[in-house]
Amino acid sequence: MSGGRILPVILPPGARGATGGPWRAPTLRARHGAVLVLALLLAVGAAEAAAEPGRPSILGTLWRWTPLLLEGFVFNIAISLLAMAIGTVAGLAVGLGLISPNPGVRGVSWCLTQLFRNAPWLVLLFFVMFLLPFEFRVGGVTIPFPGWIKATLGFALPVMANTAEIVRGAIQSIPYGQWEAAESLAFSRRRTLWTIILPQCVKRMLPPWMNLYSLVAMATVQASVVGVTEMLTLVSEVHAAEGGRPELLAPLYGYALLCFFLYCYPIGRLTARLERRFQVRI
Amino acid sequence: MAAFFDWFRWLYEATGINLTILYDAFDRQRMVAGFWTTVWLCLVCIALSVVIGVVGAWLQGSSLKWTRRAVQGFIALFRDTPPLVQIYFFYFGLGALLPRVPNAYGIPEPVLTNVQWAIISLSLFAGAFNIEIFRSGIEAVPRATVEAAEALGYSRLRAYVHVVLPLAFRICLPALNNNLVNLVKTTTLAYAIAVPEMLYVAKQIWSDATNVPEMMVFLLLAYVFLVGCVVWVMGRIERRLKVPGIGL
Amino acid sequence: MRRSLIALAALAAAALPAAASADVLDKVKERGTLVVGVKTDYKPFGFRDPSGAIIGIEPDLAADVAKKLGVKLELVSVVSANRMEFLRQGKIDLMIATMSDKPERRKVVQVIEPLYYSDAVNVMLSDKVKVTKWEQLKGAKLCGTTGAFYNKDVATQYGPEIISFDGSEKPLIALQQGNCIGYLYDQTFIAGKLLDAEWKGYHMPLPGIMETPWAMAVAPGEDRFAKLMSDLTKEWMKTGRIVELEKKWGVKPTEYSERMYKEYKGS
Repeated sequence: MSGGRILPVILPPGARGATGGPWRAPTLRARHGAVLVLALLLAVGAAEAAAEPGRPSILGTLWRWTPLLLEGFVFNIAISLLAMAIGTVAGLAVGLGLISPNPGVRGVSWCLTQLFRNAPWLVLLFFVMFLLPFEFRVGGVTIPFPGWIKATLGFALPVMANTAEIVRGAIQSIPYGQWEAAESLAFSRRRTLWTIILPQCVKRMLPPWMNLYSLVAMATVQASVVGVTEMLTLVSEVHAAEGGRPELLAPLYGYALLCFFLYCYPIGRLTARLERRFQVRI
Repeated sequence: MAAFFDWFRWLYEATGINLTILYDAFDRQRMVAGFWTTVWLCLVCIALSVVIGVVGAWLQGSSLKWTRRAVQGFIALFRDTPPLVQIYFFYFGLGALLPRVPNAYGIPEPVLTNVQWAIISLSLFAGAFNIEIFRSGIEAVPRATVEAAEALGYSRLRAYVHVVLPLAFRICLPALNNNLVNLVKTTTLAYAIAVPEMLYVAKQIWSDATNVPEMMVFLLLAYVFLVGCVVWVMGRIERRLKVPGIGL
Repeated sequence: MRRSLIALAALAAAALPAAASADVLDKVKERGTLVVGVKTDYKPFGFRDPSGAIIGIEPDLAADVAKKLGVKLELVSVVSANRMEFLRQGKIDLMIATMSDKPERRKVVQVIEPLYYSDAVNVMLSDKVKVTKWEQLKGAKLCGTTGAFYNKDVATQYGPEIISFDGSEKPLIALQQGNCIGYLYDQTFIAGKLLDAEWKGYHMPLPGIMETPWAMAVAPGEDRFAKLMSDLTKEWMKTGRIVELEKKWGVKPTEYSERMYKEYKGS
């Protein structure tokens, strides 16, 4: 890319080469996934070669434990979906609080958002895990509150704060003229918000919200650190049950990586596509 | 000073608020060391991840198809898998495959320590996000600006260095800001491979002294403070670089 | 997950009103399940079989308790770092999780007397490390388990640098990979590991220190349950149940459990 070339600006539009049009990420296709699986198999093969003979094969071991590991993975997904649902509802409320005309509501919402957005997820998780009781008593009725529900709440807190920011950003990105136009048509503030502003926001909120979801899905493995039996816990227990063979570790963790990749990558692609579709080019 | 520390011992006896990190010399020392480990981890990872981001974004603009694909694959792999599993995979999985050198006892010791592995995996993780951020920043520079530079006789390289990059950097500052804050929070994951950072130290202390609530509150405040520092520095940079009409 | 389903079922069951001052025994009976926290990374005291079920000496003891109460048994995997919190919060009704008896722990949970087991602290070292005294470990890197009570004491008394992980699986891997020169943990556990062919190049040259009995525990204030457990423990001592389980799971009976058996046999 030196200066001796013909200036691209004088070339016809079609001939500007790879850097001409807006840049597009090369899409990964099924065959790239195949490459990934192949890489995993190769890693397994290498580990196999390093292993002593006369032991159960690594692929066989992975296969034998697959039902248990996948059960764990499904549990991770369930936690992430639940956390996302709770966090989104709460986040919508807090996000609307952020733009409330009442300074008190605004202040409280702001504090909530800042605190939960800036604290590490793992620390929040420890917080919820250790400081919430295991069960509640409401009027003689005991409501159990097991670890995985607490972990879900622990994930819902940062989701809430991030959703609130997304909501606020989207609402503020709608040109102010629309508020004024609605006001001149005698719409109340609430009606303007719910019937004019928010429907337009959905489009803008969707991509960052989906990004957030994939972050939550990936964060659920942190629950293993606070004693919830999910996929990562099972991975180390499987390793222990197999007699702690060191050559099993890379395939086992690779397996977990693959599960999450296969789940989160399509979400990421979809998000990118939506982003491009909804993009407003300057 | 000793009287100040002893006051907290009195506080514990009087109220049950057990801040061992203040009155117990051993706990105090390890918490101070933990705080600096976290700060150091943050600084090194921020620097490395920004370098990875710049180089990656540059490679992604390459005209070689396979270079672009490789970078894209790298991004996909690191963005779409849990960082905690990445750390375990690197430290326990790949660590077993590394060459080893004998230490003073004659035991073969891996060439990379847990701290180094934490730095590598956290930097790669945040770097993958930074590539995307820098790339979208470059993309967001209006075509017309580049064309104007070209019409003024700038070569591609010079237009890139003098026109595209300065604008792109300003455009992506908010997103970069966000990602770096995220990185600071992600450093807590290094705890899982026994890197003695703040969360690790806090956990050691509360298992010894069973003062979970006190340590939790301390941790929250410490991290909010650290994140506040990053946001403040980034805000200063943002203001310093502000060009009217560019950026959000 | 199975456990979450159970939890959901429990949620449904809990909709029924419970007596206001029910203690944990009543709750267990009402629920029909006893929830016991045990280790899952402490072979042979508690570990998983390929179906995912938790087995070992402590699960067997837990099963005895459930049988005595006439309820079903649910085992919850705990680690050193969370077992007392779980008990305090009521996530588990009873803890049989290789916990050493320490005065500060007695402030937090209610310990069952007589103590059911006893163990010392030791360090598993590579054969290449030739030491005869604990003092020689000064400055050496030792792997450890977060939440073990002796980490801080050993670090302050003998000065090794302790790198601790959650559970006992990860420090062992780190030891195998050469990230530390030894593993500081319970002597019984290390002795069990050294029988394994996997750990051929390792030994335990130092004398055990800080011998401490292990304690089962219930939540504070659960006197009725504690009394019941205390009687049951005495029965175990009398019938030699612990020695029997040690033999069943391939552990050499410890001096403590044999002494207790002898002491109680006549009573």
